[in-house]
Amino acid sequence: MSTTTLTRPDAAAARASGGRTSVGLGAAVRWEARKLRAQLRTKALLVGALLAPVAVVVVVSAQSRPPKDTLFGRFATDNGYAMALLVLGFASQWILPLVTAVVAGDIFASEDQHGTWKTVLTRSVSRSRLFWAKVLVAVVFGLVALVLLAGATIAASLVVVGQSPLTGLSGQTIAPHAALGLVAASWATAAPPLVAISCLAILFSVWSRNAAVGIAGPVVAAMVMQLVGSLGGIEAVRPYLLTTPFEAWHGLLAEPRFTGPLVDGVLTSAVWSVAALAAAYVILRRRDITGG
Amino acid sequence: MRRFIISLVAAVAVVLAIGGAVVAGSGGGSTVTRARLERSLPTEFANLYAAQATMLGHRGVTPASLHPTAMCDKGGAVEPDVGPGSNWNCLVSWTDPDNPMPPEGYGKFELDVHTNGCWTAGGPSKLVGFATLTDTSGREVPNPVAEFDGCFDPNGDNSPTGVEFPSLLNVTTTALRPDAQRRVAVQATCGTGSTGCHGSVTATAGDTELGTVPLEVEEEQTATLAFPTPVPAGASEVTFTFHVTQGVGPSKPVTLEMPA
Amino acid sequence: MTTTTRAESDGDAVDVVGVTKRYGPLVAVDDVSVRVAPGEVYGILGPNGAGKTTLLRMLFGLIRPDSGTIHVFGRTWAHDGVRTLDHVAGFIESPKFYPYLTGRQNLEGLGLLDGTWDGRALGDRIDEALDVVDLVGREDDRVGGYSYGMRQRLGVAASLLRNPRLLVLDEPANGLDPAGIRDMRALVKRLASNGLTVLLSSHHMDEVEEICDNVTIMSRGSVAFHGTISDLRAMAPDPGHLLRTGDDAQAAAIGHDRHRDVAVEPAPGGGLMVTGPQHELSSFVADLVRAEVPLLAFTPTRTPLEELFFMLTDARSEEVA
Repeated sequence: MSTTTLTRPDAAAARASGGRTSVGLGAAVRWEARKLRAQLRTKALLVGALLAPVAVVVVVSAQSRPPKDTLFGRFATDNGYAMALLVLGFASQWILPLVTAVVAGDIFASEDQHGTWKTVLTRSVSRSRLFWAKVLVAVVFGLVALVLLAGATIAASLVVVGQSPLTGLSGQTIAPHAALGLVAASWATAAPPLVAISCLAILFSVWSRNAAVGIAGPVVAAMVMQLVGSLGGIEAVRPYLLTTPFEAWHGLLAEPRFTGPLVDGVLTSAVWSVAALAAAYVILRRRDITGG
Repeated sequence: MRRFIISLVAAVAVVLAIGGAVVAGSGGGSTVTRARLERSLPTEFANLYAAQATMLGHRGVTPASLHPTAMCDKGGAVEPDVGPGSNWNCLVSWTDPDNPMPPEGYGKFELDVHTNGCWTAGGPSKLVGFATLTDTSGREVPNPVAEFDGCFDPNGDNSPTGVEFPSLLNVTTTALRPDAQRRVAVQATCGTGSTGCHGSVTATAGDTELGTVPLEVEEEQTATLAFPTPVPAGASEVTFTFHVTQGVGPSKPVTLEMPA
Repeated sequence: MTTTTRAESDGDAVDVVGVTKRYGPLVAVDDVSVRVAPGEVYGILGPNGAGKTTLLRMLFGLIRPDSGTIHVFGRTWAHDGVRTLDHVAGFIESPKFYPYLTGRQNLEGLGLLDGTWDGRALGDRIDEALDVVDLVGREDDRVGGYSYGMRQRLGVAASLLRNPRLLVLDEPANGLDPAGIRDMRALVKRLASNGLTVLLSSHHMDEVEEICDNVTIMSRGSVAFHGTISDLRAMAPDPGHLLRTGDDAQAAAIGHDRHRDVAVEPAPGGGLMVTGPQHELSSFVADLVRAEVPLLAFTPTRTPLEELFFMLTDARSEEVA
């Protein structure tokens, strides 16, 4: 009985005359988001983003000697705001790149891993729609992870270490309520470079067709850039590095406040993002899907 | 796999080429400069020193009342005052009636400056105290000015501040070691400052004048000053008198004993 | 790209003209043309590596041809993009799904990618499709736990979801057990009987012979034969038989002396290979019996069409070599 409705040609013809609309970005995004939600790794990562900062804050605050060699480290054991900024400085070195790359570096390569490019590309969705849907989902995931990390870190820091006036980077004293805003804003400044790292991970993912390369590639690249950016003598390259924007928040904690690095950081991140996405797009569009 | 390695090598080569071109085109292009440090350090120091005064219960100290100024130098006269490193020294002068400056008029801070414009400064314990202090309620608390972190705007004002302090000349020899002819020499170090140490040194042993030698020491350099005349057999000590025309020398003659 | 070209090809479900695809020095598909009329079951036959899959991938837009044109219901990738596939469904090689999702979740997602937003309508269609391929009861298990045959059937279900006018199946029986092969063929026949156009690739002559109307035989990237199954049958060589007797020498002598149209040669594995027209073979065997040659076995080696298939593809291989 069911066969007839499914395969009766006149039914198909009627449907065809009504016209199959080619699938919009919304459907593709919904599909990508659903796949992401079904993966254990995604859930584990988000739970980790909530719990790991709590553990880090508890461990650091229990140290008898504060970690003075990192910015705000000397106040971290008795000031919650300083603790949240210490964790930010630490996280932006490789934790944030890793967290976003776990999804962004896998989202294209996993189709290769499961051989499912042919499955999805023989439906009614074009390669470009699918590309942008994946980009959107990966970037939004990275931002959600950042928000969770930031929220968990700030909450844990204030609860475990406490709230007292914060000493800024110009020696000025910042009242607690102002400090909370600045700490939150500092975490928010990690968003542009985080998006750029996601785009870089997407490029690695599309180009290598291998999730391990997609995930490790941007993390290694970030660590190399971090190292290069800390070397004297070649500081002219610093404005072009993707890790420099991760330090742009320093200006928010100075008096007078400076936001030049922030603006430069947004620009740098945008250029990296656009370049990485453009390359990834071209590679995917031109690719012959032979596997799977 | 081969495609992968070729692409990777190509990408690294392109990155190196671009990076090299950028570095070559800019001639280093560090944002870490003397002027930026000379603006950043005193501002922060004044804020923290005022905070310290509050902890100690000293009244009347405000960041503005301190009138802090600084002169910074990287690696002495032999190195340009630009770029990151742990060999930055800054001479800071401020006004606190309860805690006057030494004769040279400043205290020396040692800075470790990073490429991102953030730095860690260690203050002179003679002027700012040790790592912890006892506050008015009797608690041991960290001394905010003993060691502190700051960051300057990498795009900030880079015009010279014009602050200059003279170098401080110190005699580093503590015991004389005469040679076989009983001739003596003394070592002197010229500290961070704007001009180095110039002048002359005269040595006398009792009534015998051992000679006068010229003093020409660059900043953050040490010189050995040898005197031509042997010390007479009966003399038990040698006095060195400094006439410093540039820099700050010991105000009183330095007397060192001859070994027995 | 004139309108006349499009109008001409509009009548065909598939119109492939002079398509070539190279991978470096290897020519995977060499100037292949295939035309599939609506409603027919069309077979593309060839040994592994003949270029069948590459051709089907180009039809689906997964691979771009170096030259030539492909029209699907009058549409081309260059002109219509993914809308070329509006009335097409199917799978290439073994169908692949997301192992961490259930069968139903996979189908729901693919339904989304087909543009089916209405969740209830989609649910009904999924139920129907699962019923057709006999996967009801397993749809809420993760695909990771499916057997090969179940995935193959899920692939068919996923294709039916699109309500296609053309169903493209690449080696649908590959990897299935005999029962699975029987079911799959029955399903294709049933779908075809409802008027669906089917384009099927295979390396089994009997599969194509059983269900296809028209066939293209490919070898080493190019077309070795093109026509109906009856054309193919007419071209088929005489059937070959393996003869085992108690006295091969005498049997061979009888063959050489009295049956000029029958070729009798020693077979590689022992016994004799006998080839000739059917009626000559009958009288040859009758002669053997009359001459009291002990007959142990007389078995056909390959069907005539299989024989032809190997001739067409092997001959071409030698030609190329």
